[in-house]
Amino acid sequence: MKPKAKILLVDDDQDFLEMHEAVLKNHGYDVLTASSGHEGLEKVRAEMPDVIILDLMMEKYDTGFSFSKEIKNDPLFKKIPILMVTAVAEATGYRFSLKEDGYWMKTDDFLNKPVMPDVLIGKVEKLLAERKE
Amino acid sequence: MSSEARILVVDDEMGIREGCKRALSAEGYCVDDAEDGNAGLEKVKENGYDLLLVDLMMPGMSGLELIAKIHLIDPEIILLVITGHATIETAVEAMKKGAYDYLPKPFSPDALIAVVRRGLEKRSLRQEAKKLYWERDQRLLELVNERSRMRTIIGCMADGVLVANMEGRLVLWNAASVKMLKSRGFDVAGEPLEYYIDNQAMVDAIKEVLSAKDESFSMISREIEVEGDPKTVLMANIAPIRDEKGNILGAVSVLRDITQLKEIDKIKSQFVSMVAHELRAPLAAIKGWLEIVITGEGGGDEKQQKQWLERARDRSDSLLALVNDLLEINRMEAGKIAQKMEPVQVTDIIRKILDFMKPEAEKKNITVIDKLPENLPLIQADKRDMEKLFMNLITNAIKYSTEDGAVTLEGEVEGSYVCYRVKDAGIGISPENSDHIFDDFYRADDERVRKITGTGLGLTIAKKIVNSHFGRIEVESKVGQGSAFSVCLPCEERKK
Repeated sequence: MKPKAKILLVDDDQDFLEMHEAVLKNHGYDVLTASSGHEGLEKVRAEMPDVIILDLMMEKYDTGFSFSKEIKNDPLFKKIPILMVTAVAEATGYRFSLKEDGYWMKTDDFLNKPVMPDVLIGKVEKLLAERKE
Repeated sequence: MSSEARILVVDDEMGIREGCKRALSAEGYCVDDAEDGNAGLEKVKENGYDLLLVDLMMPGMSGLELIAKIHLIDPEIILLVITGHATIETAVEAMKKGAYDYLPKPFSPDALIAVVRRGLEKRSLRQEAKKLYWERDQRLLELVNERSRMRTIIGCMADGVLVANMEGRLVLWNAASVKMLKSRGFDVAGEPLEYYIDNQAMVDAIKEVLSAKDESFSMISREIEVEGDPKTVLMANIAPIRDEKGNILGAVSVLRDITQLKEIDKIKSQFVSMVAHELRAPLAAIKGWLEIVITGEGGGDEKQQKQWLERARDRSDSLLALVNDLLEINRMEAGKIAQKMEPVQVTDIIRKILDFMKPEAEKKNITVIDKLPENLPLIQADKRDMEKLFMNLITNAIKYSTEDGAVTLEGEVEGSYVCYRVKDAGIGISPENSDHIFDDFYRADDERVRKITGTGLGLTIAKKIVNSHFGRIEVESKVGQGSAFSVCLPCEERKK
């Protein structure tokens, strides 16, 4: 019944890639993984995913922010919803917002790690439904 | 005047002496007498008197002479001159020499008593005045001392002090305040604050205190940034000076340079957020794995779920290693580790570690080449530290080596140092990474090392150990060719 949506996971932590992949696959999604922003961009261009689940990576030259910016500034990909996940929202001082307001970071949705499997699925379903409209 | 007033009568005429004594004793005075100048002078030296009655015409020392001498001994004694045949001029002469009044002979006891009483009153007034003068001088002295004391105290203070009056003019300051505000120096008091202080925030804060309406207002504390190179941050505590009615007379500002505190605070929060990230991420991963096994949301058969649980266990192992490393660093930084320095053969320690690591190396088919020469000098070192240091370096060499690679151990004497080298033929470190590899939590930002686990603190600890042994640690590396870590430690001095 459920459409086979394609989800791209971008995370530099192998554990999160694999556990999120297991949960999503178990719920019938197609899953692509990338362990860096660079690899993630390649996969977006090649596979055109329906939803991107992006970790706010902490590496100096390769953050989730720069990845997210590239996607949102690209007319081809900017409609792809991005779900931001992070383990360290408070520590970095970054805050997410669903609206543009200058101080908080605009994103389509966000979650703190660890992500509960049912919450992850719920968010993905919501983003897919919004995209349909 | 008190009845204790002491009076001396100096006259060659016995009748006068007796008469005076009788009349004055009856008034309650204490009266002595002397028959000539010399005897009078002796008695004054011996006893001291409040008042003297001196006959001007005496054989031997004259009255005038006596007056002059007594005046030198005690200028405060009241001198009354008794004159018989002498002219007014002589009396005037006596007055010039310090006599207070004169009494022409013959005189009645009443006249005598009146003159004596007046003289004693005069003396008592003089003494009172003298006491007041003395007290005033003391107060002035105290004031001057107080002022000097205050100036010295604020001058010696490391904190800056500024005192402004009600009109916002500067009245008192110290050198520290000039330096802290990077002012060109305050030469004279009384100019408006703006004239000296080129910092609007500071001036505004002082004015805010001066214009405070609320009577209970007592102090403001404000951080003031001072431009310049380097930029500094001051903490200013500014309080009003009030009179007895509570009106504001001025404001005292005490400044403290908190630039370093701010810097430490920043470093501390950076460290806390770094640690938060390093601890939170593995914990979240562990919980994530447990969650998908417990909820069954990840699907998978029993074998698959067991693998996930093993992943959680691996992650908790590395978290434990991280906590241990953090505690180790903390202990080292707090100097809590009591190093046991003794002559150590580091080569032996390295060989033991190589034995221990053998299975790990064989798993990746890595050849370990021991090129360590025999009989390298001993090193004054802590054995446990040396084990930790080379364990870290050798583990890294194996971890970052490619399969079928080689790890080589070398050693040599360089001047007064023994240098050990741990070389691998691994992936190497790029120059931008090698600048940072000794930093806390720094891990090469490279996709090829992403799957290699580590706390990011191993080299931090290695460097701290080497530093505490007065040695040096360096890295040489080429991407794709491998890395070589050199540790040079000072030899133990042996005279043989």
